[in-house]
Amino acid sequence: MIKYDRFSLDNGLRVLVHEDRSTPLVAINILYDVGSRDEDPGLTGLAHLFEHLMFGGSVNIPEYDLPLQMVGGENNAFTNNDFTNYYLTIPSANIETGFWLESDRMLELDFSQKNLDTQKNVVIEEFNQRYLNQPYGDAILKLRPMAYKVHPYRWPAIGMDISHIENVGLEQVKEFFFSHYAPNNAILTLAGNVTSDIAFNLTNKWFGPIEKRRVSSRNIPAEPKQNEERILSIEKEVPSDALYKVWHIGPRKSADFYTLDLLTDLLAGGESGILYTELVRDKKLFSEINAYITSDIDPGLIVVQGKLMNGIDIQSAEECVNKVILNLPQRKGINEEIEKVKNKFESSTVFSNTSILNKAVSLAFCELLENPDLINMEVDIYRRVNLEMVNEAIAKYFVPSNCSTLYYKSIRKI
Amino acid sequence: MNSLQRIQPKVFPIEKVNIPEALSVTLNNGIPVHIIESGTEEIMRIEFIFRAGQVSEYLPLLASATNMMLTEGSQNYTSEELNRLLDFYGAFINLSTEKDHAGFVIFFLNKHIEKILELSREILFRPVFPEEELNSLMKKRLSWFNINREKVGNLAIDQFFESLFGKHHPYGYQVEEKDFGGITPAVLEDFHMKYYTPGNMTIIVSGKIHVLTTELLNKYFGDITSKNLYIEDSANILKGEKRKKVHLSKSGSLQSAIRIGSATINKRHPDYTGLKFLDTILGGYFGSRLMKNIREEKGYTYGIGSSVASLYLSGYKVISTEVGRKYRKKTIDEIYKEIYLLQTIPVEKNEMEVVRNYMSGEMVRMFDGPFALAESFKSVWELGLGNEYYYRLAEKIRTIEPDEIIRLAKTYYNIDELYEITVG
Repeated sequence: MIKYDRFSLDNGLRVLVHEDRSTPLVAINILYDVGSRDEDPGLTGLAHLFEHLMFGGSVNIPEYDLPLQMVGGENNAFTNNDFTNYYLTIPSANIETGFWLESDRMLELDFSQKNLDTQKNVVIEEFNQRYLNQPYGDAILKLRPMAYKVHPYRWPAIGMDISHIENVGLEQVKEFFFSHYAPNNAILTLAGNVTSDIAFNLTNKWFGPIEKRRVSSRNIPAEPKQNEERILSIEKEVPSDALYKVWHIGPRKSADFYTLDLLTDLLAGGESGILYTELVRDKKLFSEINAYITSDIDPGLIVVQGKLMNGIDIQSAEECVNKVILNLPQRKGINEEIEKVKNKFESSTVFSNTSILNKAVSLAFCELLENPDLINMEVDIYRRVNLEMVNEAIAKYFVPSNCSTLYYKSIRKI
Repeated sequence: MNSLQRIQPKVFPIEKVNIPEALSVTLNNGIPVHIIESGTEEIMRIEFIFRAGQVSEYLPLLASATNMMLTEGSQNYTSEELNRLLDFYGAFINLSTEKDHAGFVIFFLNKHIEKILELSREILFRPVFPEEELNSLMKKRLSWFNINREKVGNLAIDQFFESLFGKHHPYGYQVEEKDFGGITPAVLEDFHMKYYTPGNMTIIVSGKIHVLTTELLNKYFGDITSKNLYIEDSANILKGEKRKKVHLSKSGSLQSAIRIGSATINKRHPDYTGLKFLDTILGGYFGSRLMKNIREEKGYTYGIGSSVASLYLSGYKVISTEVGRKYRKKTIDEIYKEIYLLQTIPVEKNEMEVVRNYMSGEMVRMFDGPFALAESFKSVWELGLGNEYYYRLAEKIRTIEPDEIIRLAKTYYNIDELYEITVG
């Protein structure tokens, strides 16, 4: 059970504090409610580029990292489709330095052309390293626009086309800051060696004076229902064929989110997952196979992806994947399998909560979903899933007209 | 209306870390067990370590294949049953083979301790290495191997170890496609019999320690006996390749991987703690000179870093990055320039202070919680050291002076002795 106190400032900043005296450290997490789904289709990748710029110095602090390192702190950040998240851990005696740093970069960044130019370059190299210079690295760039035709999930957080990043100007960056970075668009969470009183006083002192800002209203086009099977086949110089299949599901808050989470855990959670057992271990069709749901806030996807053993025909392997999924409810011992993934979910929650940083990030995410108690309820919700619910979910989502398939084929090098 | 002075709040010195000493006990048959009590949740982490790493193998892949086959079937359970039971009890198991050691770590909820230990004994001491599972594992691994050969970073680090430690030593040689055919159940059984023995084993336990831990470890591991086999030491010696610069081309690659470094001292050497400090300045944290210069100033890369690592028979230091192809030459020049600066110009007081404080904070993180504590314990234990290493490190962080940095940079970063591996 993770106990927390929650309060908010007049400027709209929401704050959650979880005290854990077993550590000398404290984790400070600040989540901004802006992600790549908030970008203009003509200027994608900006939320992520912005995450890089946040380390280039703020209005009163020329360099972010230096003073943090000076007090023994460490930090990082990530951007996804839905939000941008910054976190640090610090010996608790120096917690106030964390408040000073985070509040200053919420107040205003020190926008410089030099920093923008360098970070554009860094992001371009990041794009090359992660997506283009890895075998299969661009699969996600192909898959998203197959599944999404209008919703901004059709591009990944790094952006749809790297030229958007190459061409972005300082003015556009500034505008992005003031329309998304604001106390009333942020959630601050603290976990570790800190009391609520200290947290409250420091938050008031450092974040209180920052005025509320006019945040761009969110106006995201809904993805229309997919009514036809979508298939794309590409050939690249990779060592073996790979199969990717995605199906649309509901939003993060929909009732069957945890049913689908459990379903994909049945399929691919650990070495004893059903897809792994049947198709890797027994039939030897794949060298690896995975299944998961994206935790997107807007309607997301079930993803199944696998790399084939050489000499295996991709279509017949795909048929086997479909069969395993559709026959899952009739499997011998399926109820025990369900019990197994529930146990595993419970223990992975316990393990995850041994880290103050994980607790701070999870609390912020649950608050973003407007339900901070969720952090203590997930195990029970997951435990309530039963075979009938799994059965219904399979019938509802795993239909060909809801599916996009990418055949990523290997061509022999000359 | 806002009178707040936005200046840095008072900085408090980072308190000295308090490292809990492990309680060391011995099982009935002599297996040493080190127990570290920590944490608030009812969970434990147990690591079973054997001196059965790559250094002990007499065929490439032998150590890792033996290790990965441990969960592929035992006298009492099939591979499927073992994996399903581990998942059923909510346990997380990480099998691993390193250069010196092999074994596994298992994380579990305390209430399942007895079942977990029973399964662990099956996995470690009663594996049966079924031929079908082995063939399938080797086919899978060959397929992963081929994928990894497409990544410039992997190609570079494999070549790096070969250049440093030689083509004939297990620290150095590279796996080739033909090696995947040479592994049979018989050689695994032989390797297992020789190296997975109580005499070759150590157990590290951490977490909220279950009251019956020692008793149960004795029940499941205290009566296992091993044949007294004489194992000769490998005759191979560590010998770096003559050629210092190796470039491997990789057609169509957008980026080049760079690895620069050499074999060096390990944690047992008195200079090691100072070298760690020097390495941190150079490339060991986000504010390091390499990160500042190559990423934050020039934007040649998404990341660059350096590290020093200890092996039982040696140690090494390595600078690693992946850069846009057109920046390869410039990046290498800048790396040597940064090394040269460390050899010639005293580090300024302010930078010394930042690194002292950053590293002191790192030390707090290294001993925060049961998992970090166990890992920190292992990393000195495997060199035959104890917590005195960390006290020396803390002292060095506090007291090292710029002239010592220059001496260390000249001694350990002699540019003529560095290997330079580039791929793509």
